[in-house]
Amino acid sequence: MPDSPSIHYDKLFRVSLLIRKFEEKIIELYPSDKIQSPVHLSLGQEAVASGICACLTKKDLLFGTYRSHAYYIAKGGKLTEMMAELYGKSTGSNKGKAGSMHLADATVGMMGSSAVVASTIPHAVGAALASRNLNKDQLIVAVFGDGATDEGVYHESINFASLMKLPMLFVCENNGLAVHSSQKDRQSFNISTHANVYGIESEYISDGYNFCKIQKRTSENINLIKSNGRPRLLEIETFRYCEHVGPGEDFNDGYRSSSDFENWKSKDPLVNDKESIAKFIPGIREEIQNAVNFAEKSPWPKTEELLTDII
Amino acid sequence: MEKIMEENSNAIIMGQGVNDFKGIFGTTQGLQEKFGDNRVFDVPLAEEATTGVGIGASLNGLYPIQTHIRADFSLVCMNQIINLASKYRYMFGGIFEVPMLIRLVVGRSWGQGAQHSQSLQSTFSHFPGLTVILPSHPDTILSSYLYAAEKYMNPVISIEHRLMYDLGFAKGVYATKSNPLHSSYIVREGNDVTIVATSIMVLETLRAAEHLSKSAGISCEVIDIHSASHPQRELIIESIRKTKKLIIADTSWKAYGVGAEVCRWVLEKDPTLLIAPAKTIGMAPAPCPTAKSLEDLYYPNLFTLSDDIANIVTGNSNHGIPLPDEKSMADVYKKFKGPF
Ligand SMILES: Cc1ncc(C[n+]2csc(CCOP(=O)(O)OP(=O)(O)O)c2C)c(N)n1
Ligand SMILES: [Mg+2]
Repeated sequence: MPDSPSIHYDKLFRVSLLIRKFEEKIIELYPSDKIQSPVHLSLGQEAVASGICACLTKKDLLFGTYRSHAYYIAKGGKLTEMMAELYGKSTGSNKGKAGSMHLADATVGMMGSSAVVASTIPHAVGAALASRNLNKDQLIVAVFGDGATDEGVYHESINFASLMKLPMLFVCENNGLAVHSSQKDRQSFNISTHANVYGIESEYISDGYNFCKIQKRTSENINLIKSNGRPRLLEIETFRYCEHVGPGEDFNDGYRSSSDFENWKSKDPLVNDKESIAKFIPGIREEIQNAVNFAEKSPWPKTEELLTDII
Repeated sequence: MEKIMEENSNAIIMGQGVNDFKGIFGTTQGLQEKFGDNRVFDVPLAEEATTGVGIGASLNGLYPIQTHIRADFSLVCMNQIINLASKYRYMFGGIFEVPMLIRLVVGRSWGQGAQHSQSLQSTFSHFPGLTVILPSHPDTILSSYLYAAEKYMNPVISIEHRLMYDLGFAKGVYATKSNPLHSSYIVREGNDVTIVATSIMVLETLRAAEHLSKSAGISCEVIDIHSASHPQRELIIESIRKTKKLIIADTSWKAYGVGAEVCRWVLEKDPTLLIAPAKTIGMAPAPCPTAKSLEDLYYPNLFTLSDDIANIVTGNSNHGIPLPDEKSMADVYKKFKGPF
């Protein structure tokens, strides 16, 4: 039975709001220095993750970037283990060795996230190759920013995927920025139309706060991928609310304007749909508080861990 | 390669030219016909992505075997090998494993020049998380590769030497070990000096040892270090306890190299083990020149190697031991067909 539109909306809203509130908790905790890991927050970009992941199951694999809090949560990773990971505790999703930038949980198909821009894109291509060779019924997704499409390995990877006819989805979260450099100062091409040159069909979505639309378009793209066995690319425009890395805002630093921010926020359901916020906030607060308590109480990694899991 | 492909149905071979008529010096010839193009296939000239594709394929259940017809090209993949493959297990707290094999061919022989001849063992062995081997015998190729593909759950870099593909080898020189990827091998027993060698320098050292044995009764113990990242240190230390003299003959530059590394742990273990200075042998500290006259000076040869060994063993640079009149290794390997 397909979900009715309002249930869809509620589910997506709740996941998106959970991401937002979780990250706001990080901001609140940050001055205490309990989270000892650089954080690249997804605030403003939650809808992309919730919309995409709503179309995936646990066995579908998603490869992300250092800005992957949203995907970890939307893919179904445990909040408790995530907070413990940010605290550097042994009960973290990755025993405290990953921190914010390398969050992963193989049990829900949240694969590596890497701090080297664009470096997991070919991993998604390889996973799709394995999936095809081994006849696995799974979809592979590569998520990356607009900055990653500057990198050679992005181009090498999409060529490889198209050449080998690998059924997979490339998702570019276009927030128009790589740290402080705007896309127009870096790129001579348009991301989504450029992919067509490699024989990859693409779609551009300008309203990246609209999780329902993102889910619908993703779902249709996945159907097309499954029916013709070829990769596709989604470019989704979005807006980074915080500074590139860290918990602060940086609209006074001269490289971007707060009016664009206000404009985007005026359309953001996580700001404007007060009724849904009121409905979900108590449960979300409790979930987050549980995660914080869990992290607080968890032990530090033991000394042996320093030399464990090297080979 | 064929045996791995037969025994491990998840193994794939991907690399530039693996399906062409030359087949990576014959090592992958005919395999695409036998195993199909889903399992053996050519790749675009996109070294970084190809390495990353291998990592992703490994994460999702395949055993990728990747080839680089010249080791030098793997430098284009350093991001994937060093920043990703070597760290996947540790960085994610042990939830991922990346079993894969990357074969690098050292292209040394006449005229290969600066970018077709490098031997990258010390570079790769520096990084925790990588396993680096330099097989110098078919026995260790077979045992190491089968072990890697069937039992080992980590990325392995194997540095093969082009000059060895056409040689014949004697059987039974190498002991069987439980994990060949973490093993070193005594390939000739002796009492006067321990010579630890890598790759083709194992063959060269054996030839020098044979010469010195015949011409001066010098008894060399030769150890094929085989695993540059995980050598059997105890085996080497025990040998030094017996001979009290140490030479390391490597296929690369000496600075921060295998020789330096062996000396490091010998010194850390017991600085009184040696009764003579240690000697490291490697290439001249320059990029590899193309002109044959310079290339012959650049690499050690049977003459310089025998002289170095005689110096250390006798403690005298005027040792008077007759040396083989052979100053170009490249010439020898063109006509030389073993067995060793
Ligand atoms: C290979 C590499 N180059 C540079 C950096 C420094 N760096 C970190 S994030 C970033 C911006 C990437 O922008 P984008 O891909 O659009 O992702 P976003 O941060 O906007 O989500 C840069 C340049 C890096 N981590 N890796
Ligand atoms: Mg960006």
